[in-house]
Amino acid sequence: MGLPGFYLRRAYSLFRGEVLVLPSRVAVFIFALGVLLLPLFSQDPYLLRILIFTSIFAILAASWDLLSGFTGQMNFGHALFFGVAAYCTALLNLRLDLPPWISIPLGALGAVLAGLIIGIPCLRLRGTYLALTTLAFPIILMGVIFAIPDITGGELGLSGIDRLSGSRLTDYYITSVLMLGLGFIMWKITDSKTGIILHAIREDEVAVRSSGINTTRYKLLAFCLSGFFAGIAGGLYAHIMRTAGPSTLEVALSFQIVIWAVFGGIVSIYGPIAGVFILFPLLEFLRIMPKIRMLVFAFIVLVTLLYMPQGLIPWLRDKIEKECPRCKIRNVTTRKTCRICTAELD
Amino acid sequence: MGQSFLEIEGLNKGFGGLRAVNNVGFSMGRDEVLGLIGPNGAGKTTILRLITAILKPDSGRIRFKGKKIVGRKTWDIVNLGIACTFQNMRPFRRLPIIANVMVPCLSPRAMKRGEWVKKVEAKAMDALEFAGISDMALEKASTLSQGDLKRLEVARAVATEPELLLLDEPFGGLSPAETDLMAKSMHRLHKGGRFGRLHSEGPAMIIVEHKLQQLMKIVDRIIVLNFGTIIADGKPQEVVKQPEVIRAYLGEGGI
Repeated sequence: MGLPGFYLRRAYSLFRGEVLVLPSRVAVFIFALGVLLLPLFSQDPYLLRILIFTSIFAILAASWDLLSGFTGQMNFGHALFFGVAAYCTALLNLRLDLPPWISIPLGALGAVLAGLIIGIPCLRLRGTYLALTTLAFPIILMGVIFAIPDITGGELGLSGIDRLSGSRLTDYYITSVLMLGLGFIMWKITDSKTGIILHAIREDEVAVRSSGINTTRYKLLAFCLSGFFAGIAGGLYAHIMRTAGPSTLEVALSFQIVIWAVFGGIVSIYGPIAGVFILFPLLEFLRIMPKIRMLVFAFIVLVTLLYMPQGLIPWLRDKIEKECPRCKIRNVTTRKTCRICTAELD
Repeated sequence: MGQSFLEIEGLNKGFGGLRAVNNVGFSMGRDEVLGLIGPNGAGKTTILRLITAILKPDSGRIRFKGKKIVGRKTWDIVNLGIACTFQNMRPFRRLPIIANVMVPCLSPRAMKRGEWVKKVEAKAMDALEFAGISDMALEKASTLSQGDLKRLEVARAVATEPELLLLDEPFGGLSPAETDLMAKSMHRLHKGGRFGRLHSEGPAMIIVEHKLQQLMKIVDRIIVLNFGTIIADGKPQEVVKQPEVIRAYLGEGGI
């Protein structure tokens, strides 16, 4: 056996101890594996294209959750970050001939800047007022874009951007690996100490302030982080579509993000990602009945939220897992005793 | 009285037509425990909120250890060493209790003073231990009873290792037994020392309270407020005998 065998056994025992114990972790594992292995089974260009967009929007919805779900800064204009990054990426690529792997991060930094610019006036607002104010920003920016068609291309947008890569398969792998990676990073952020402070800001801002935490800094941090991740999505979108137009700033897109995230379940990064992976392909699938497509879509979303107000994924998770009353560790519902502290599960 | 530790001069605050705090001025020493009493609406809570800059004063000066604190942000003031609790408790309800206390443990002041503590969780746990609710550390804060919420407030305030502690009705809603416990832990805190990884400076305290009997046991000095102005200031036993104080509390005629 030797050394490789030792490491293999160790990896397997780690896998069995950490992943196989909980159905939700198994589900995440299967999901990641499925996303990565899918091209082995089908390389249908239509399917790959849909999944590329699904991955991009999953990053976008998760970044919304980071800002609005976790920090409680209700943002109804999240398309702003997406659009700003798409335009920045497009301009960098077209004017300066930068390749995608430089233009996308720089475009995302543009979105961070946008996050700072809208974050500062929004610091004093909360709830409905914040939502209305953030809603206005993409509309304002759209006006600006129409006003300077020489730079932005006006209503037609910018076209002729470089491809992300040569082949559709590579595009698929770039977007899906980025989706998995960024999703993991966002989840880690919310799980960290910074994440606790962001959570606390959502609960009670005054109490956080009187605990000696600079809430301004953390709220701006949330805007910037969220802007960065949304910006990566925007940059990818520009390079996949090869155009960056005013549609990236539309109010409809902002609301679409909210619908995806709320459907999947907010305050959990995996919820919005799952929401996009269910709803976006569903909307495509419903093209088989084009006339009532949106009606059926709306019906499904409404019924789901009527019975699962927390969102689909947290509801499912509560069905298959329960918390140990003593140590608060999650267990499969079929277990009689907690897997860590062996307390009775009722 | 020692060298002036907290100094308040000509403090004014109005809400619309109401003068909640009217030309209040007092100073206190480093080791004092000050009781702030008065009938409802006398401006006690407002004074505490003005000190921690949750509210902005209309005029007046507040100095803490010789530094002006009017105009500073709340978190700056907390990081200077003033911690406060809220009268109507404001826990982060959907977070576990330990996370509630980890938030102040993550403030710059607590991080700097506890550099040697590797884990913030451990320090938060000691603050909970001090307040006596460490056994419920993993429960959600929304499951706590009124008394335990008060203790959580105290744990959160203590976690920043303050030099001045502002307590807003620490005994409000507690049973007599719980009140005694709380009073004892206040006393222990004021003496200073170590509670596990947590260090107590032996903070000076300003306590706003209605339960006079318990308050009298722990304070060195009492200030009585009525309609936003100070009507009495002195040793507890002397203050409660003053006719104005009795009149303010019980109305004309007295006992």
